[in-house]
Parts: sequence; C-alpha cells; structure tokens
Amino acid sequence: MLKSCDISFKAGLNPLQMGGQRFLGFLFPSESDTWLTVFRIGLGLQVTLYALFLRSDWHYLFASSGKGLVGRELGEAITSFDSPLIPKLGWLITIGRNLNMSEETVLTVVWVGLLSAGCLLLLGLLSRPAAIFAWFIHLCAGESGGLLAYGADNFMTTALFYLMLSPLPDRCSFDHWVAKTKPKNPQALGFWRRVLQVHLCFVYFIGGLAKFLGSGWWDGSNLWLSLIRPPFNLVPPDLLVQFKFVLPLLGVSICLLEVSYPVFIWWKKTRRIWLGCILAMHAAIGIMMGLYLFALVMIVMNLAAFGVPRTSSRAQETSGRTEQ
Amino acid sequence: MYLKRIHTAWFGTHFFLVTVVCLAGVFWLIAQGSTILPSAWDEYARKAERVATWCLGKEADASNPIRRCIATYLHAAGIQAGYTFFAPNVPSHHRLTLELFHADGQVEYASPHVRSKAAALRLDSLLDKLPDERYEPVRELVLKMLAFSVWREHSDVKRIRATLETVHLPSITDFEHGKAETIQPVFSFDFSLHSDAEQ
Repeated sequence: MLKSCDISFKAGLNPLQMGGQRFLGFLFPSESDTWLTVFRIGLGLQVTLYALFLRSDWHYLFASSGKGLVGRELGEAITSFDSPLIPKLGWLITIGRNLNMSEETVLTVVWVGLLSAGCLLLLGLLSRPAAIFAWFIHLCAGESGGLLAYGADNFMTTALFYLMLSPLPDRCSFDHWVAKTKPKNPQALGFWRRVLQVHLCFVYFIGGLAKFLGSGWWDGSNLWLSLIRPPFNLVPPDLLVQFKFVLPLLGVSICLLEVSYPVFIWWKKTRRIWLGCILAMHAAIGIMMGLYLFALVMIVMNLAAFGVPRTSSRAQETSGRTEQ
Repeated sequence: MYLKRIHTAWFGTHFFLVTVVCLAGVFWLIAQGSTILPSAWDEYARKAERVATWCLGKEADASNPIRRCIATYLHAAGIQAGYTFFAPNVPSHHRLTLELFHADGQVEYASPHVRSKAAALRLDSLLDKLPDERYEPVRELVLKMLAFSVWREHSDVKRIRATLETVHLPSITDFEHGKAETIQPVFSFDFSLHSDAEQ
C-alpha cells in the first residue's frame, strides 16, 4: 500500500521535481558504518605515523625564529594574510605562555596530543573528540609550517575534516562497546560516504586533466623525471632505463586512469579494476618515491569511499532503531 | 527533511568551492603557457582564472569579511589548493648551497639539514616553491632563516652566501649517453651579521 502511494506521488511530480528526488536519493543512500570503520582506523594510523615520522624534527620545524629551521612566524604571517581566523600553533603557544608554559613544553604537549589522538582513533575510543582534536592540531601544524607543507597535508586535513563531521562512533569502535551507542542513521552514513566519493572524483579528474595538458605525460619523460628527481629517486636510474619503452604507456595510462575515474568508479563492472589500479598507483608512489604519508592517506580515502561494498540491507536492518 | 536540506545546501556550497579552486588551478597553468594548448588560449585562461579567484573573494580587500570567511573555510577543509600535482609537467628540482666564510678566511660549503626523511621532504618542497614569482616577497627572508639555521652551528662564520640552484635532470636519452645533471644558479644572497645584500 505504501509502495503504491509512493509511485502515484512520484507520478505527480514534474521532471524538475523528479530530478530533485533522484539527486536526494543519490545524496542520501542507506549505508552501514563499515566504510566509517575503515576510514577511522586508516586515519588513526595516518595521524599516528605523521606524528612519529616528524618526532625528531617537530620542535625544529615549528619553533619560533632563531630556534627553528625557518621559524613558525613566517608561515603564520602568510596564513594570517589569507585570514587571521585560520588556526595556527601560535594560538596554542600564546595560551601556554599565559599558563607559564614555555614554547618547547607547548610543542611537546601538542605532539603528544596528536599522537594520542591518532591512537584513540585507531582504537575508536572517544572517536569524535579525537577526530576533532586531530583535525585541529594537524591544521595548526600545517598552517604554521606554511611553506613546508605539501600535498599530503591538504589531503590529511580534508580527510580529518570529513571524519570529524561523519556520524561517529561506528560499531567496531571501543565507544560502541563501552557506551553501547545506538547505530547511526544509515542515510547520514550514506551522505558522508557520498561526500568522500564525490571529492575523490574531483581530485582525480582535475589531476588527470592537468597532466593531460603537459607534453611530458604523453612521451613518458614526466614519469622518468618523477622517479629520478631527488628526494624521490629511490629506484636506480639504470633499472628504469631497462623499462624505458613502458614509460610512455604508463604515463598515458596514469592520465587516463585519473581522468576517467569519475566515470568508471561508479560503474559496478569496472569499479574493482579502477580501484585496484588507483590503489596500485598509490602503493607504487609510496614505495618507489618514498611518499609514504601521501600514499597512505590516498589509499585510506579510496578504500573507505569505494573499497567497502555497499551493505544497505544491513543498514536497513538497523534503520528501525537508529539515532536520528 | 530539515536536516537533509542543510546537508544538501552544504554539499552544494562545498563542492562549488572545490570546483572553483580546481578550475582556478587549471586556468593558472594554462595562463602560464606551460601546457600543450595553443598560446592564444593563455589570455582567455587568465580571464577565466580572474573570474574563479573573484568567486573565492580574492579580488576583494584583504580585510573583507567574506574573503576571510571563504579563506578560513577553504583552509579548514584542506581545499585551498587544487590537485595539479606534477602537472602539467614535473617541476624542476632545486637545491640550496651555503658558502660559509670563516673569520680566518677559510670557506666551507653546507646545506640546511633536518633529521628525518619526512622533514627532508618538506625542506625540498620549500626550496622548490622559492623560484615561483608568487613567493618573491618572502624569498630573501626564507633564505636568511635557512642560512641562520646553519649559522647557529658555525658561530665563527662572518658571512654566508646562499645560492639557490636549479638542477636540470638529464632526459632518458641523455642519461644513456652518460650525461649528468646540470646546475644553474637562480639567485643568491649574501648575509652577514651586520648587513645583508642581494647579488
């Protein structure tokens, strides 16, 4: 009865309204929280590794002028020119000074806090506060580092931004065990997964398009230069020369893979192939160029967005007793 | 339904900003003339880039609250930069050489250094940004800071000459013929304890 009412209701809609309904259907599919578990654990690992990798240089990178490499103030001045409202480590250091804490102490506390947030995300303990804290501290570090930041930092900020807005905690987290939280609204889970999926489509389409505009991606020379360019030159050039005939093919394949990602990743038949190729590409970037953090964050985002199969039936099951 | 409307409005605004930032990046690349597109497109790309930056509020005064709000949101969401990594072509590699002039007349060569590989990657990223005209206003200051970081370990040094060089890597054919990388100085600055001057 409900179904027939729904059909007659839909039949009364004009094409514009039908389009709107379809768009809403696309934006709010019912999902379980399995993808969120992958996303949370993956970003927990990412934040933990980020903190550990920078452990020995943390103070040197973010100390003030005269103590550090470039001085935190310069990055913060550039950021403040964009907007003084953007969070930065200088804010925390000012708060610390008011509490009689030295700059070194505040930086140490911030580092320990970031590492702890990563570990908490891994475990799923205090998931949302940990996600908000990790996003905030990482953003502060990225903005204060200013010129020292690179692509992986932006992706980490974006991923943590989406994670803290997603309906945490998931069912595999300690939070769920301890507090016995109700399963989240499947449509809210579906919405945030859509956001991640659409975002990745933008990333790869623009990346592929921009690469197609460069002559070096057509003849393989850009691939050669990427792999012999310090500090990414982990593979001996002599070894690369032996595969020189493959480089043009690989260069064009990368562009094609990226530019066609927004089409073939949605299609069920090609999704596994495209996802597999993209994951292989990022794994290769990590291993062959030493961009471990960049590779990991891209792999985590792809796995959460498209790697976990849709489990709408399980989601439907739980939808009757969800937290709206 | 109310929550769905809020989510939908946010989705539209968020991805509008992502689209504009991405397009601004692509138009900038075309306007620079660094793509395979005909040079006649450069001017159109420049105009299109201006439209995109206008949408982001960047044409407004730096103190404009709308501009500040957009910039804050873009940074908070990590979407302030486009996704044109290694595009349209792989950028040149740069390195910084510091000539340390000791009080006794001895000259020593050094480079700024960090302990971890992760930090070294960031230092390289910084050096690669410096030749870009967008970083011209902070170029001297950054090099001064980097020189100073080395100076702290060599207190008897009277003067430091910091030279940023572009490393032109050999093509695959050149490499096979035994050709090595070539170095081209881009700019250098002399720093002393009392006065600084560009060369």
